[in-house]
Amino acid sequence: MRRLLHEMNPCIKFLAVTVCILTLAFFFNPWTPLLFFAGVVLLQLLFSQTNWKLWSLAMLPFLIGAFGYFWTTLVFGEPGDGLVLWTIGKLDITTQQWELAWSLSLRVLAFSSISLLFAFTTDPVRFIQSLMQQWKLSPKLAFSVLISYQFLPVLKTEFEQLQQAHRIRGPGSSPSAFKRITALRRLLIPLLAGAVRKAERAAFAMEARAFTGEARTHYTEVKLTRKDFVLFSLFSLVLSVSGSAVFWA
Amino acid sequence: MSVLNPIFQVDGFSLRFPDLVEPTLRHITLVIHPTERLVITGPSGCGKSTLLYVLNRLYPHNCDGEVSGSVRIFGRLAQEYAPGEVNRKVATVFQDPDSQFCMPTVEEELAFTLENLQVPRQEMPQRIDRILHLTGLEDLRHGVIQSFSGGMKQRIATACALIMEPECLLLDEPLAHLDPLTAKEFVSWLDHLQQESGIAVIAVEHKLELWGSFFDREIALSENGTIRKDQLFTERDAPILPERTSAIRQEVLFEASDVCVSYASKSILQNIRLQLLSGEITVIAGPNGSGKSTLLKALCGILKIDAGTISGMRAGFVPQSPEQLFLSKSVEGELAYSGNSSTEKLHYLMTALDLESIAHAHPFSVSLGQKRRVAIGAMLADERQVLLLDEPTAGQDLKALTELHRQLTSRAQDGCALVVVTHDMNFAWHIADTIHLMKDGRLSLPFQPEELFSNSALLAEYRLHASKKGGYHAPAFA
Repeated sequence: MRRLLHEMNPCIKFLAVTVCILTLAFFFNPWTPLLFFAGVVLLQLLFSQTNWKLWSLAMLPFLIGAFGYFWTTLVFGEPGDGLVLWTIGKLDITTQQWELAWSLSLRVLAFSSISLLFAFTTDPVRFIQSLMQQWKLSPKLAFSVLISYQFLPVLKTEFEQLQQAHRIRGPGSSPSAFKRITALRRLLIPLLAGAVRKAERAAFAMEARAFTGEARTHYTEVKLTRKDFVLFSLFSLVLSVSGSAVFWA
Repeated sequence: MSVLNPIFQVDGFSLRFPDLVEPTLRHITLVIHPTERLVITGPSGCGKSTLLYVLNRLYPHNCDGEVSGSVRIFGRLAQEYAPGEVNRKVATVFQDPDSQFCMPTVEEELAFTLENLQVPRQEMPQRIDRILHLTGLEDLRHGVIQSFSGGMKQRIATACALIMEPECLLLDEPLAHLDPLTAKEFVSWLDHLQQESGIAVIAVEHKLELWGSFFDREIALSENGTIRKDQLFTERDAPILPERTSAIRQEVLFEASDVCVSYASKSILQNIRLQLLSGEITVIAGPNGSGKSTLLKALCGILKIDAGTISGMRAGFVPQSPEQLFLSKSVEGELAYSGNSSTEKLHYLMTALDLESIAHAHPFSVSLGQKRRVAIGAMLADERQVLLLDEPTAGQDLKALTELHRQLTSRAQDGCALVVVTHDMNFAWHIADTIHLMKDGRLSLPFQPEELFSNSALLAEYRLHASKKGGYHAPAFA
């Protein structure tokens, strides 16, 4: 049970997430995103093994963003002609503003929760494999993404090495914060040059291993099973229940 | 000569890259038969790797080069093959262990090759099992490739090439990044594999002494890209480098005592003690991953040390890729960057390091040897009389090694203290006043080269092998 979301076919999961996000964009009441957020977290609680500490950390920037939306809508939003709820100093807060602020900020949370669900339960390699197998993504495109994924740690090491090497050259002149940022430009050129070299080598290595970009067999089969459709329906259920808030809220 | 049909028939082949005036390969004519063990030798930049890339059909297809003559692979003209088609029978292992994999684990990487060949899914597990068994890599099946050492990565790359069941294996300097014993192990492993599978092996290599009697034929290219010799391979001794007399002066330039470094609460360097005299050349040797590079970075102040003291002159650092240091647009500017030297001093350094002819060139555009000299110059101009060089010998041919030897010798005569990290025991023997060995983050006491190279137990413990110098013959590697 706790692995269900991880095992779900990544393409179907991606489809579910996309449908949810597109649909939510048409709801402007605060209850729909709130319910949806709760529903997504519940699904993740039940059917995944999430590191919730990490999840909270990843959620934090979105939470700050949501608060930003909330606050700016209250302060700068069109007051409209709704009832005045409170008056803080010169500021009148109307029911309309209050609702809009909640709706906007909860929307941010709803979108980010479903995106994080996808990110936390999907293995990138499996996602690409699934795209190749279910949606016939061209192997050339798929493997360029896979290779760049492999290169990320290598690039990180290279960046650190460059930084260390430059540290020994000393500041040259006094290192202001601004100077330090412009100095990054010097790291960029050798880093990019190295990346281009590596990309060429990788392309050679792939061709030398008989990669032609044409039809291929697949060692790891990413299957479509009944579970995937059940989970898809669960996502739809969460979406419809939260969407139905339009009628009763 | 074998009666079997040849794998490669190259006839009067020349290749010129579009951005070069001179052709890289000229009038190459050769025939290679199945089960041959062939090595391509020659000075750096003579077109060895290019020739290898012609044999696996990556060139001229991927370089828009100007071509004359013909290359037949299994009797068919190279240009008649589709890209990737011939690579089912001609497999290649490249030099850089970091940029030849595209999947996370060994199993997936092996499967990648099979998927390319459109092997049915049901057959894949058996073929993967078989190749893992053949190459002795069973335990690594689910291992993450990027977490392995360079030596392991080369073995995995070889396994990925062999799983195609090719008729010919091409190797591009496969030992360049390996420590001596790992290199020797790789060679004997390959020897065993070749006997099992009976494929042809063609390698490009500088360091022939590491291969023992592995090869049976040698093609030597000359500087201008023609075949100089096509002959039976004879086992080589390490090349003879010039003798030098020690320039040690009894003046301590640099001293580190009880230096400890840890990273993410893991101890990397423990109680390092090192004393460097003026004019002394110190070699640090040890297996891949023993902490040698970390040590150099700690000594020159790039990495923070957790305990211990470093005193004396400031140390300068020359990384394996010297261009990592460069910050200016000209060689001249690179030396003047720190602003710590007078015009006269700069002028002296430019002359001493033989940089005058490239003073206005962009430091990224000069040759590797020149880049290293620029980096040394920049360090000396920054008043760093202690120079720490990380792997300056990796992938260098004899000419480059001789030039490096000369350069280090004259810097020592100027009174610098030099530390060289290297896997090249022959070079170490010829250059070192003192040798320290390193293992698991611990640095040994100093050894005299003679004392070290006659102690085979000690060498084996640090995954080194004895170099041959003068009349002395080292025991075969243990």
